[in-house]
Amino acid sequence: MSNKVKVIPCSGIGKVYGLVAREAVLKTVLELCPEKAETVCLAYIVTGDEEVKEKMRGSVCITVDGCPKICAAKNVTLAGGVVIEEVKVLDTVKDHKGKKFGSATELSDDGYLVVDEIAAKIEKSINKIA
Amino acid sequence: MTVLKVGILSCSGEECLGGTISRLATRKVLEEMTMVDTVTLCLPLYNAGGTEERNFASVFPTISVDGCDKLCAKRSTEKYSGRINGSIDVSKIIGNENALNTKIIRNKDLNEEHYQMVDEVAGEIVKAISNLNPDSYTGKTFRGCSCND
Repeated sequence: MSNKVKVIPCSGIGKVYGLVAREAVLKTVLELCPEKAETVCLAYIVTGDEEVKEKMRGSVCITVDGCPKICAAKNVTLAGGVVIEEVKVLDTVKDHKGKKFGSATELSDDGYLVVDEIAAKIEKSINKIA
Repeated sequence: MTVLKVGILSCSGEECLGGTISRLATRKVLEEMTMVDTVTLCLPLYNAGGTEERNFASVFPTISVDGCDKLCAKRSTEKYSGRINGSIDVSKIIGNENALNTKIIRNKDLNEEHYQMVDEVAGEIVKAISNLNPDSYTGKTFRGCSCND
């Protein structure tokens, strides 16, 4: 079983913040920390399949959520993952008032700036523990 | 006039290209289809949300869009909402090798070829909507996603 930190976004499809969460996590696991971190499809976790529960049980996880429903954090916890940090996109975007981040389909340049900022925070957290 | 509504649920899988294509094709149909009012729900809300989310597929005719043959969106919808009216497996449209690509997943890494895949899958979603029994559209009273979408 992989010992990499599991970084899991909500990928919410209704609002831009879901896409920000998704792109920040993908930047982290594909570009910034590919040796130390990986992601797992949240939709797979939601199925509750024994195979994915086995994969998640006791694993160190960071979740990234786009809205206060914190679906990623809740589902990862339900699957047995140990969430050591719940990243909330809204905590970062509140520092960028008045900016337009794009849509749930495509981010603007400002949207990608927020992605970079969140990904850098996640990278820092990963480097502290891995 | 009766407003026709259809729910589309995408897996949006983060591990492979198929998930990205499923998400973008779903968004494309939501944004561009005008004959029918299409709505969506974040799939993880089935588990993390409440009754309203779980009633989603029982009040809307619903089509799942999955990036790979694990069919997570289809199976979760059936598990939590009881039924599904149509199902699309993106890997059957763009091929397994493309769907399971674990290197190109981010929107910013997509090229023209990937956007053609999005168009193709969106076309299949529209076909699936047109194949729905018109009776299934009527009498729906869903109040909307709980995150106000």
